Amino acid sequence: MNPLNPEDIEDLKQLIEFLKENQVAEFELERGDVRIRLKFSGPEVPGNGVSDLASLLAGARAVPAHPAAQSAAAPEAAAPATADPNEGLHILKSPMVGTFYGSPSPGASPFVGPGDHVAKGQVICIVEAMKLMNEIETDAAGEIVKCFVTNGQPIEFGQPLFSIRES
Amino acid sequence: MFGKVLVANRGEIALRVLNACKELGIRTVAVYSEADRNSLHVRFADEAICIGPPRPSDSYLNVPAVISAAEIADVDAIHPGYGLLSENANFAEVCRASNIKFIGPPPEVTRLMGEKEKARQAMKKAKVPILPGSDGVIATVEEAQEWAERVGFPVILKAKAGGGGRGMRIVRSAEELPNLFNAAYGEAANAFGNGELYMEKFIEQPRHIEFQVLADEHGNVVSLFERECSIQRRHQKLIEEAPSLQVTPKLREELGKTLCRCLKDIGYQNAGTVEFLMDEDRQLYFIEMNTRIQVEHPVTEAITGIDLVKAQLRIAAGERLSAILPAKLEMRGHSIECRINAEHPVKFTPSAGKITAFNVPGGNGVRVDTAQYAEGVVPPYYDSLIAKLIVHGVDRNEAIARMERALSQFVVQGIETSISMHQAIFADAGFRAGEFDTKFMERFLAKKTDKECAEVGLQADER
Repeated sequence: MNPLNPEDIEDLKQLIEFLKENQVAEFELERGDVRIRLKFSGPEVPGNGVSDLASLLAGARAVPAHPAAQSAAAPEAAAPATADPNEGLHILKSPMVGTFYGSPSPGASPFVGPGDHVAKGQVICIVEAMKLMNEIETDAAGEIVKCFVTNGQPIEFGQPLFSIRES
Repeated sequence: MFGKVLVANRGEIALRVLNACKELGIRTVAVYSEADRNSLHVRFADEAICIGPPRPSDSYLNVPAVISAAEIADVDAIHPGYGLLSENANFAEVCRASNIKFIGPPPEVTRLMGEKEKARQAMKKAKVPILPGSDGVIATVEEAQEWAERVGFPVILKAKAGGGGRGMRIVRSAEELPNLFNAAYGEAANAFGNGELYMEKFIEQPRHIEFQVLADEHGNVVSLFERECSIQRRHQKLIEEAPSLQVTPKLREELGKTLCRCLKDIGYQNAGTVEFLMDEDRQLYFIEMNTRIQVEHPVTEAITGIDLVKAQLRIAAGERLSAILPAKLEMRGHSIECRINAEHPVKFTPSAGKITAFNVPGGNGVRVDTAQYAEGVVPPYYDSLIAKLIVHGVDRNEAIARMERALSQFVVQGIETSISMHQAIFADAGFRAGEFDTKFMERFLAKKTDKECAEVGLQADER
């Protein structure tokens, strides 16, 4: 095989750049006795190179999850490269399974709302489990940004409850 | 029938229970720890709730978490599977108090069978043969001699306060008893702070035989024959079969009747297994009862054609055995199960990690119960069972041939498994001839050559 001369190599480099820019996955070229085949590895997509069953499972678990988990933005689910609205915020997750209550009692005003400042250890909600009202304390100090759940919603262990901008 | 059932378990048994529920039109709720997020039992349930971090005590054994999940999912019943909370009488009571049906016997019965001495007395009263022994603690060497006369040598002295082989001595004659008694006493006092001993008849080469029973909530009890589980290592079963070559039709029928009478008297409900040791004269002695479905239930399902988990659900829903079982129960053929564990086949060290290839054998007479799959992960927090390979044949020879064929086609890569160890056992002449007892694995593993051990870095006492 004739070795490529410098101009050919330049051409090849430009070709590769062009293909990359235009997100071409595979390219094949035959000219005379020269044959070039290029294959680019794709972006990291969940399930890439993995069996269908595994990708079904490892990927977004939006599937037959309990309604509790579905309505929360499950952060572990494969979130493809979109901007994370919770970036830099501390997420308070539920330490137990049960029912979420935002106020100390029905009709009373909520413990906290967006914009409120909380100290570490402050009670910010209740999770009821087996008829016991468990007061949940924040594990971080700062400003409440968002509440992810609604009053009376069933929640699971590890479910995101609040986002807090730490200070 | 229940509208919704929560399965308080994980792995292959959770999937097994889910399957039975689905086939009965029952909606299913899975609970899982963070380590099991991508498990099959979670994937295939109608609803799934995360109940805690990986450690069992924080998740699967966490009663408030399980009950809380049952409440928010509004289930009618909980099936506890095996292990975990299945024989926890407190858990069964909490279910009852929370108005959730526990699929198993009433808490009082679980508690009774859980107290070894009480269970023995209950069996003794019902004329179920129990292992002869001293009635409680033996105060002096003289008393020990009297008991040994009565029970008959060989006997074993055991520490009341503990186990694990400490404070235990096997005594084969009256001459050696005084020394061994004192030695056991001293060892127990040292190990547990309490030297008190009791005595049991010792069986040199016992076989492990167990009987499967089903009882409805209307006082009816049926025996579904026996299983033999003598192939064990350190008290963990490796291979089980049904029926046992050692149990004669007469013994099977008589013991079956006796057990049913006994369990009816104590008010047993749902599925259970009564475990025995068999001595060299084919005498059976009761050791304990497991008040739940067992790992090896599929071999009984194979020879009887009865779906035991469905029977559990139907019994708990109030159906009678006469509606669930055929009028005459019969055994067909022979079934064997191999427990495939995620562990090194020679060193027996656990092998957690990601499975890269998983080819499950199939074909006539082959059943595989597993919750693993290619690219699945075996977490390090739980027991190492990853699959049960069950075969059924017209007789034991066909079952053996079928198992060898199936084992050779069971391909698992990425983790170590006990598949090659099972293949070696099935090639063993003694095993094939049905000549074994609970010491089989000890002898089998001792045959490993020094070279083989050196290759895998095993010490002499680690076999």
